[in-house]
Amino acid sequence: MPILKFENVSKTYPGNFIALEEINLVIESGEFLSIVGHSGSGKSTLLKLIYAEEQASEGHVYFNDRAIDSINRKHLPYYRRNIGTVFQDFKLLPQKTAFENVAYALEVSDETEEEINELVPEILEIVGMNDKAKKYPRQLSGGEQQKICLARALVRKPMVIIADEPTGNLDPVATWEIIQLLLKINSMGTTIILATHNKDIVDKLNRRVIALDKGKVIRDHQKGRYAI
Amino acid sequence: MKFTKLKRTFKEGMDNFRRNGWLSFATVSVLAISLYVISVTIILGVTANIVLKNIQDKINVSMYFNSDVEESRILEIKSKLVGYQEIASIEYVSKEQALEQFKKLGDKNPSITQALDEIGENPLLGALVVKAKNPNQYEIITKAISNASFSGDISRIDYEENKTAIDRLTNIIKLVEQVGMTLGIVFVFIGVLITFNAIRLTMYAHKQEFEIMRLVGASNTYIKMPFVFEGIFYGAVSAFVVMICLYATSKFLSPITQGSIGGGDIVSFYFGNFFIIFGGLLLSGIFLGTLSGIIAIRRYLKV
Repeated sequence: MPILKFENVSKTYPGNFIALEEINLVIESGEFLSIVGHSGSGKSTLLKLIYAEEQASEGHVYFNDRAIDSINRKHLPYYRRNIGTVFQDFKLLPQKTAFENVAYALEVSDETEEEINELVPEILEIVGMNDKAKKYPRQLSGGEQQKICLARALVRKPMVIIADEPTGNLDPVATWEIIQLLLKINSMGTTIILATHNKDIVDKLNRRVIALDKGKVIRDHQKGRYAI
Repeated sequence: MKFTKLKRTFKEGMDNFRRNGWLSFATVSVLAISLYVISVTIILGVTANIVLKNIQDKINVSMYFNSDVEESRILEIKSKLVGYQEIASIEYVSKEQALEQFKKLGDKNPSITQALDEIGENPLLGALVVKAKNPNQYEIITKAISNASFSGDISRIDYEENKTAIDRLTNIIKLVEQVGMTLGIVFVFIGVLITFNAIRLTMYAHKQEFEIMRLVGASNTYIKMPFVFEGIFYGAVSAFVVMICLYATSKFLSPITQGSIGGGDIVSFYFGNFFIIFGGLLLSGIFLGTLSGIIAIRRYLKV
């Protein structure tokens, strides 16, 4: 069953800059999809359309058969809770500890303190960061920060996790730890969409790969390798 | 559920307030100065009015009758005057009563007694002491009296002597009120601007965090509420600061104001009206803070 569907989607930014053109794409639930392409090829825009940071100029993006652009602005926060996001620059709240950063994702959706105190350590355990729960982001290495981000993305049990260059700032060891975690999360049933520049990762994953160039899908292989 | 949200955003707002130490300090200072000027103005206005009332109560017009006017004639004139609607009360002070009062002064000043002894007879005149309902009406009353049929019996009217003093006092109080109000309005405006700016700066500092908050699915209200609370904290803390400053000020002023207010000095006035003053301050502080927060959110928080 498709969890995400792009139908003739184009995105034009002011100044007539075309970021995406005529994208048609079906992403099945439980898939591990890699998106590759040069900088400026439209990878990030494609992801932004999914987590509703941007809206398509033409066409529609469907999440579980519902057009995302038809969601009332007021309800977008609730929609976003279905999607976990991980970024190259981590985007952790600097004044909160690792625990609090993960807990924040639950606090905003009105979870009770008991649930938070039960769920957060559980998730931190999964990403192997339980012993660093009380550390602030600045006290953690890049790899550790990214694991906290993954924990935060994961804690609300989203249907989709979007990872936009999650390993861009990490050394090879940390990179593989993150990829292993993504695979683990995927094996538990969560759809993963990974945008990356890293050839090694894509080649080793041996999963579906989409290549973007100048806003168009130029390749879509079920067991793909990194090629643009 | 609503309560958890309130509690959490309240805590976030408090954290913002605490973390931005200097910014909070500056904001609270300016807001406190604004509130201080406003409340000093109001308190000054209120006390000035009380003082004026006290003085006005002491104002009267005395008509002194020629020494050959009989007491019965004076009482007859008195009964005529009672009909004037501008007049609040009339009191007859006979020659003898006037002498009594004058002799009492002599207890403190022996030369008075001496002088009286030398004259040998009562040199004082019988008088009618008139109090007006409204201090503005003294002029009308004195005019009416000096034009009345019995004006020939009157030796003198002592209104003119008091008049300039009364007028001057009224003018000063009016001026104090006007200057205070203007300053107050200006400071309220500045206070709102500064608080608004402080919150805007916090927002700027948190700019990247809004994105994060949105990404993890925080609703707009959840992102906005901490800033409203931040504004409320600015206001409430300022109110406390002003309360202390006002106490210090009134303590400082109390020797000067001793006895000028009905209940004693300005410190007792401050404590007598503690809850009214504090409540008013707290409410206006919170109002200003919230207002500034809401303006800043509307203007700068695009979520």
